[in-house]
Formats: sequence, structure tokens, C-alpha cells
Amino acid sequence: MIRALGRFTIVAFVLALVLLPIYWMASTSLKSNREITQEGTLYPHHPSFENFAHLFAYKRFSDYLLNSIAVTIISVLVALVLGSLGAYAIVRFRLPFSLERRVGLSLLILRIVPPVVILIPVYLLILSLGLLDTWLGLIIIYTALNVTYCVWMMESFFREIPVDLEEAAMVDGDSRFGAFRRIVLPVAAPGLVATSIFAVIVTFNEFMFALVLTSTPHAMTMPRGTATLIGRIDTDWASMSAAGVVGALPIVLFAFLVQRHLVRGLTLGAVK
Amino acid sequence: MNRPGVRKERLQGAGLDAALPYFMLAPGVLLVLLVLIYPLWDGLRASTMFYRFGNPVRKVGFDNYIRLWSDPQFLNSLWVTLTFVASAVAIETVLGLALALFCSHEFRGIRLLRTILIIPMVVTPVVVGIVFRLIYASDAGMLTAFSEALGGGAVEILGHPVRAFVGLVVLDVWEWTPLMFLILLAGLQSLPIEPLEAARVDGAGPWRVFIDHTFPMLRPIIAVAIVLRTIDAFGTFDQVFVLTHGGPGEATRLLSIFGYDTAFKFQETGYAAALFVTMGLIILAFTLAAVRLLKRAATS
Repeated sequence: MIRALGRFTIVAFVLALVLLPIYWMASTSLKSNREITQEGTLYPHHPSFENFAHLFAYKRFSDYLLNSIAVTIISVLVALVLGSLGAYAIVRFRLPFSLERRVGLSLLILRIVPPVVILIPVYLLILSLGLLDTWLGLIIIYTALNVTYCVWMMESFFREIPVDLEEAAMVDGDSRFGAFRRIVLPVAAPGLVATSIFAVIVTFNEFMFALVLTSTPHAMTMPRGTATLIGRIDTDWASMSAAGVVGALPIVLFAFLVQRHLVRGLTLGAVK
Repeated sequence: MNRPGVRKERLQGAGLDAALPYFMLAPGVLLVLLVLIYPLWDGLRASTMFYRFGNPVRKVGFDNYIRLWSDPQFLNSLWVTLTFVASAVAIETVLGLALALFCSHEFRGIRLLRTILIIPMVVTPVVVGIVFRLIYASDAGMLTAFSEALGGGAVEILGHPVRAFVGLVVLDVWEWTPLMFLILLAGLQSLPIEPLEAARVDGAGPWRVFIDHTFPMLRPIIAVAIVLRTIDAFGTFDQVFVLTHGGPGEATRLLSIFGYDTAFKFQETGYAAALFVTMGLIILAFTLAAVRLLKRAATS
């Protein structure tokens, strides 16, 4: 009895610590700026969705959302295709000088490098390609970052598939690539899903490259657009909290829907 | 007698099959070469140049690196980064481990806990920065609101160097303890039960069981979790950009923020490139050392 009560207390305490900050942002987003700064209420006394309407009517938030969704979907899809092809080659073929192993290892080492290290040269590269402030500029860098991750994850999924499956298909007259497309990919489908989930979350949330590569609502993504609201002197808390809710909601809902697959991705495959 | 057509067909098939792995590897590898490897090399090159207003003026060899290590701003930034990473990761490990141990036996409510704990990890880091600004702000903040509700005055966090730094660590702990928890919980659940049961039957208390059995078996997983988290924390940028942008003064100016300002605000591209190369080398050295230690621990 006492044990159960202690357990309940700890769980409740942890939940409160996690949820209180979120509650505060959500409740702030429903208050007026006057209520936020002058009255300091603990919950919205006159809740309204005006802050949200304001974001979409005057702050271009529908543009940011569209840019984010488009850039995320395209770059994750392309990275999945390139990553699966590469991972399959690494897992199933033996090349001279262990080339395939070296490629796999190099991609893994690249993942260790914090992206901020290549921020300047990537900016210079996109600048010289004339792709600043375009979807394509963002898609190129996001796809590349995702490829290293997709190869690494898909490798482990392909390794779990027995070679016999492809051999049987090839005896039946399939080409090697045909066997990959018709037999291996469908079997690895859960792996593709698990891999894409984490890639989607990371790409949707990415801020640093978006910060230097985009500058107008033409290509600004959700996190980048949200950061434009942060003034140096006067802070528009109402807009900022509403923007936080709009930015966080899609990704949190998405994460809840797919939480089963999430942990493996978050830990780079360290936990299955 | 060999009919040339058939033989050619077979040869062609063999030729294509031999080339297939290269065709499969090429697109991804080419993209990575262009967008990740070439920039690494380009950054190295930029770090040996002197820039004025964002344009390369002349080669200066290692001058940028020499300047870096005698620049008090860089040294301070390095110190801030190291203390931030060390304190955040240490707290996250202890809290994550405690929570994982607490949850290692199934009970009702654990699924709810695991679901809710996903939130901090997946919320956009920029938004996490906003969440904590809304907590710390002296006018609109949650702390001030609670303090005033209890009859106190406004709470000042982000304008005070030490408190702002602690506030940043608290943000990171809030965001990433759940990841530690999930990794360590999975680790705990994968441990063999027999040695723990045997120790318990022999009359060992929970603390002794943990020290003598659970912890030694869990150590490799703890180490991996610490390494992953350290690498990640070292590159923290978004949250600080939103929360304090390095301030007040230089109190929370991590290397990433210092480098960003140097490059994009002050246009000292070469100097910033040298800073980022140095940063990459530090994290590489850390990772290599960690991997070597882990391997030695695994073999002994």
C-alpha cells in the first residue's frame, strides 16, 4: 500500500515536471499580451484563439508550415531511396579493397561530426549554386544528412533478412536488382517505416541550416519562421507561445502515432 | 559451338551484375561527397584564409588557429561548452538511471509515463527554447507568476550569468533525460534475471544487488548512452539561440553560438572556420578515445 502510494507520487511528480512547461506554453498561447505581462494569471481567464489566427493571417505561418512539410517529405523520401540502395550494396556485396565496408564506416563517422562544423562551407556551397532561400537548397543538405542515417539504419534491417529469399527469387529468373525490388524491399518495409519516422522528426525540427540558408517566407521552415518572432527588445509573448504550439503540435502528434518505432531511431539503433 | 549472341547476353548480364553494387552505392555516396565531405575539406581550406567582409583576402596558414588559442573569448566559450556538456550529461545519466531502475518492474502507469516522456525529445528544439523562455522570463514567466501568486516578487533568471547557465542546463536535462531513461530501461530489461534473483535469495538488499550486480552488467550500456549524449550535447545550438543567444555577456555562449556569430554576424569566415574545425577535432578525439576505452572494457 505504502509502496504503491510512493510509486504513484513519483510518477505524478515526473509527469508534472514534464508537462508543466508544456502547459505553461499552451496556456500562454490562449491569453492576450496584456494578461500575460501585466496580470500574470496562472491560467487563461479569457481564453481565445486570436493569437493563432494572428499567426496565420499576418505572420505567414501557413507558408512556413507548407515549406516545412514539402521539404521534409521530399528529402526523407529521396534519402530513403538512396539510403536503401546503398545499404543493400553494403550488406550483400563484397567489393575489392572492402570498399563497401569502408563506405559504410565513413558514413557512420560522418554522423559523429556535429552539423555545425560544416555550417559555413555548406552556406558557401548553396550560395555558389544560387540556391539560397529555395526549397532545393534545403532539400540537398537535408537529404545528404538523412542518407548517412538511412544507410546506417537500413543496413541493420537488411542484415536481418535471410539471403535465401533473394536466391530463391533469382533461381526463379529474377535479376539481382529485381530480387531486391520485389522481395527484399517489401520484407524490409517495417524497417523503412522505422527509419523514415526518425528522419521526419529530425528534418522537420531542423533549425540551424534553415537559419543561414533561408531568409524569406518563400522558403523559411517552421522552426526558422518561429525564430523570426523573437525580438531583441520587445518580446511578443502571445505570438511566440502560439507559434511554439503550432510548431510542436504536428510533430508531437506524429510521435505519439508512431511511438513504437521511435526509440530505435533516437538511439541510432543502440536500442531495438 | 557457341552462338555469339547468347554468350554476349550472358556476359552482359554478368557485367551488369558486377557493376550493380557500384550503381547502388553511387547516388548516395556522390551526394554525401558533394554536400558533406567537400564542405569538410572546404572548411579546412577556409580556416587557413583571412577573410574581410566575407571574402577571402589571403592565405595565412595556421594564423587563425594560433589566434584561436590565445583568444579569451574562444577559451571562455570552450569552458562554457565543456561545463555545460559535463553537467548536463552527468545529471541526465543519474536521473535517467534512477528513473529506469524505478520503472524496471512493470506496473500500471508505466506506459503512460513512457508515452509522456517522448514529448520533450520530439518537440522542435527551437520550441523547447521558447518553452523555457516562457518559464524564465521576468515579466511573463511561469516562475514569476508562481512567485507572485505566493506573494513573492519577479524572478530574474536570464539576466543573471550563473542563473542563465543553470537555466540552460535545466533545459537540456528536461529535454534529454527521457532519452537516457529509455536507453537505460531497455538495457535493464535486457539483463539476465538469474544473477539478480540469486543475490536476492542470498539475502542481499536492493542497494547491494544494484552495486554488485546490476551496475556492473549495465555499465557498457551506460557508457554508450553517455557517449551518444555527449556528442549530441556538444553541438547544441537551437535552444541556446532562442533562449539567451549566448548571453548575458558570454555566460551561455557555447562554441556553436560563438562560431555562428563570428561567421555570420562579424563576417570573420576564416576565423570561424578554424573554430569549427577545432570543434570537430575535439569531438572526434573524444569519440575515438571513448570507442577505444569501450573496446578495452569489452575484451577484459
